Amino acid sequence: MKRIGFLINPVAGMGGAVGLKGTDGKTEEARRLGASPQAQFRAQITLAQFSRQTGLGFVTCSGSMGESALNEAGIRGIQVLYHYHDESSADDTRKAAQAFLKSGVDLILFCGGDGTARDIFDAVGRDVPILGIPAGVKMYSAVFAVDPATAAELVTRYDTTSLRDSEVMDVDEDAYRHGELKTRLYGIARTPVLAGKVQASKHVFEEGDEERAKKEIARFIREIMIPDVLYILGAGTTTESIARELGVNKTLLGVDAVQNGKIVALDLSEKALWALLEDGQEAKILLSPIGAQGFILGRGNQQISARIVRKVGIGNLIIVATPHKLRETPVLYVDSGDPSLDAAFGETMLVVSGYRMAQKKCIYQPEKRKKV
Amino acid sequence: MQTKILLDEEQMPKKWYNVQADLASPLAPPLHPQTHKPIGPADLSAIFPMELIRQEVTTDRHIDIPEEVQDVLRLWRPSPLYRAHRLEKFLKTPAKIYYKWEGVSPAGSHKTNTSIPQAYYNMKAGIERIATETGAGQWGSAMSFATMLYDLECTVYMVRSSYTQKPYRKSMMHVWGAECIPSPSTKTNAGRSMLEKDPDTPGSLGMAISEAVEDAASHSNTNYALGSVLNHVCLHQTIIGLECREQLAMVDDYPDVVIGCVGGGSNFAGIGFPFAGDKLTGKHKDVDIIGAEPASCPTLTKGLFTYDLADEAGYTPLLKMFTLGHDFVPPSMHAGGLRYHGDSPIVSRLVHDGVMRAVSYHQSEVFDAAQTFARTEGIIVAPETSHAVKAAIDEALKCKKSGEDKTILFNCSGHGNFDMSAYDAFYAGELVDYEYPDALIRESLARIPKIS
Repeated sequence: MKRIGFLINPVAGMGGAVGLKGTDGKTEEARRLGASPQAQFRAQITLAQFSRQTGLGFVTCSGSMGESALNEAGIRGIQVLYHYHDESSADDTRKAAQAFLKSGVDLILFCGGDGTARDIFDAVGRDVPILGIPAGVKMYSAVFAVDPATAAELVTRYDTTSLRDSEVMDVDEDAYRHGELKTRLYGIARTPVLAGKVQASKHVFEEGDEERAKKEIARFIREIMIPDVLYILGAGTTTESIARELGVNKTLLGVDAVQNGKIVALDLSEKALWALLEDGQEAKILLSPIGAQGFILGRGNQQISARIVRKVGIGNLIIVATPHKLRETPVLYVDSGDPSLDAAFGETMLVVSGYRMAQKKCIYQPEKRKKV
Repeated sequence: MQTKILLDEEQMPKKWYNVQADLASPLAPPLHPQTHKPIGPADLSAIFPMELIRQEVTTDRHIDIPEEVQDVLRLWRPSPLYRAHRLEKFLKTPAKIYYKWEGVSPAGSHKTNTSIPQAYYNMKAGIERIATETGAGQWGSAMSFATMLYDLECTVYMVRSSYTQKPYRKSMMHVWGAECIPSPSTKTNAGRSMLEKDPDTPGSLGMAISEAVEDAASHSNTNYALGSVLNHVCLHQTIIGLECREQLAMVDDYPDVVIGCVGGGSNFAGIGFPFAGDKLTGKHKDVDIIGAEPASCPTLTKGLFTYDLADEAGYTPLLKMFTLGHDFVPPSMHAGGLRYHGDSPIVSRLVHDGVMRAVSYHQSEVFDAAQTFARTEGIIVAPETSHAVKAAIDEALKCKKSGEDKTILFNCSGHGNFDMSAYDAFYAGELVDYEYPDALIRESLARIPKIS
């Protein structure tokens, strides 16, 4: 019997869809902006795979920090080791993780973002392996499975996994909100892996020829931009260079919209994006895979939700990335939150990597998703 | 079980075959880059000898190969035709696969078939020096060898990315006494202006052509030579297909499928035109003639059939051909010889008319095919040639599915002995599958000079 300590950060990810770039200290604001809790939903995708699984025993926290989700998934024989009161906090996460550790769990499975990973690592360090179900706004840490279904696979096949060092990253949320990506290594946890199925720690490239490549990409994109079409520019420095080529300023970490070479709106929330598209506006989405993990959707661009992608059409996604970045990302990932949309991306995709040049890249499709 | 099918030296063809004779209507003429009027022989005489200009436009079916040229060609010709028994067995295909091995020439590829006559005609016309360009270095080394034989000087503008990637090609040129300069260079106006625009450009065949043409046009003792694309170049290469037809007849066979890789089109023309002629004249209506090109520079499969410049700077005539636009700089892939924005006007016309067709492949799949070939037949082919190998394997596997015992012939145009770094990259998993973003691009192709 494998003992799994399971916890959810109930508010993780709420800031993402409303453009807050993180939920730390912003829960109320996120709620006011119309954010709904994401983590329970994300956790269910993983937990659904365990309902008929024998050989797993769960210890957890009360209520929405774990107990409710396990019950909803029909998992029996759970043991609640930690009770929290009022709104759950970072302190509750730390205390729960310590309780799991004391009870001798084999693995802590959590659902949250970088902040949650950091809090759990604070409590247990390298004493017990940890694995994240991605549900936060930022997931630069390498402790996350590539998607909730893969997290389930890592748990059910725990005996065939190996452990590897995985970076827990600390992202400065205030700097991040002001357009600056400041990540620092917070610690090295241990995470179970099947080859190629845990996010490599994200990193930002700083290379001379990167700038040249970005300019080439931007020159090409400008050349093929069609009048009156709305271009939605995702986060990152490659899409930023396109804005620069057009002579406009975009936000580094936000999602912006341009049309006929001019900014329509900056730092759009999912709702605001939706509003721009509602009258049947023809649009294309320009995205760059995020960091070394190579996520097209689901990391850092959460404003571009599944319904936005469906509205615009997968065929109108233009993925851009420099050759160097593509070298570091042998496979691209899609985790839009909607597995059938993710599956619709198929197994390869063209990524524009220069002037009139693209590269054919593989898209990771888990076995389960292919059957959808 | 015969493996090598060999012709005696006396059986080497004495005439080239000119497919222009069998076209239903004449080729669209080259146009002057400024006036957009058809050019005449006088327009070309500044950079080409008169005999090559005549060969460029003639519709005579056969053209004699001069004795002095035959003497040199006999150093390695007739080249062997191989039956790929081991590859067939490995693929478990009922198809018969033959390959024409052009890697036996001193420079290691088919390019010497035209560098020799080109140097010869220039020598005859009193020219003292040749300026030319090279992509991967195959043509540059072939021309260096040829100019040495006829005591001409030679300057080769080598595409910069290849210049650094393939240092030994450069060394070969030096051994044969030629000067090799990375392009774009500061030696020409065209080169200087390209460097000003983009100091870090990897270069392209189009840029190198501009430099060589400018060099030739500005020196009275110097002519220009092109290693592919032009009609006379394709003409000289037809010796490949003519020999193949004889060799296959010796084993009582005729191809159902004929394959060559395509950059500027000359080796594909060389193996394909004699069979295209058979198709055009109704002797063998069903022969399937396939050009294999890179997905990153898919001129025949994704380009437009229109008038475009043959070079970057706009010195050359406008040719009616499949093109990706003369300002297109293909990525620095390993098959440097296939990095050309346009294609031979005759090949283009025949593809446009459905006499020949084209397929395109990504880098990693062609190296995989080349590995299969090396591990069955032994020969390590050039990255360019690996496209033809891939197409031949694909066709043989189709036969395996359908149970057909087709005869497949491909041009094994050159060895890869100087391309081992490309194979290393393949084994290290570092090959990038470049692809031309066709759907996104249609708008930008509208920038090609419009000729009605």
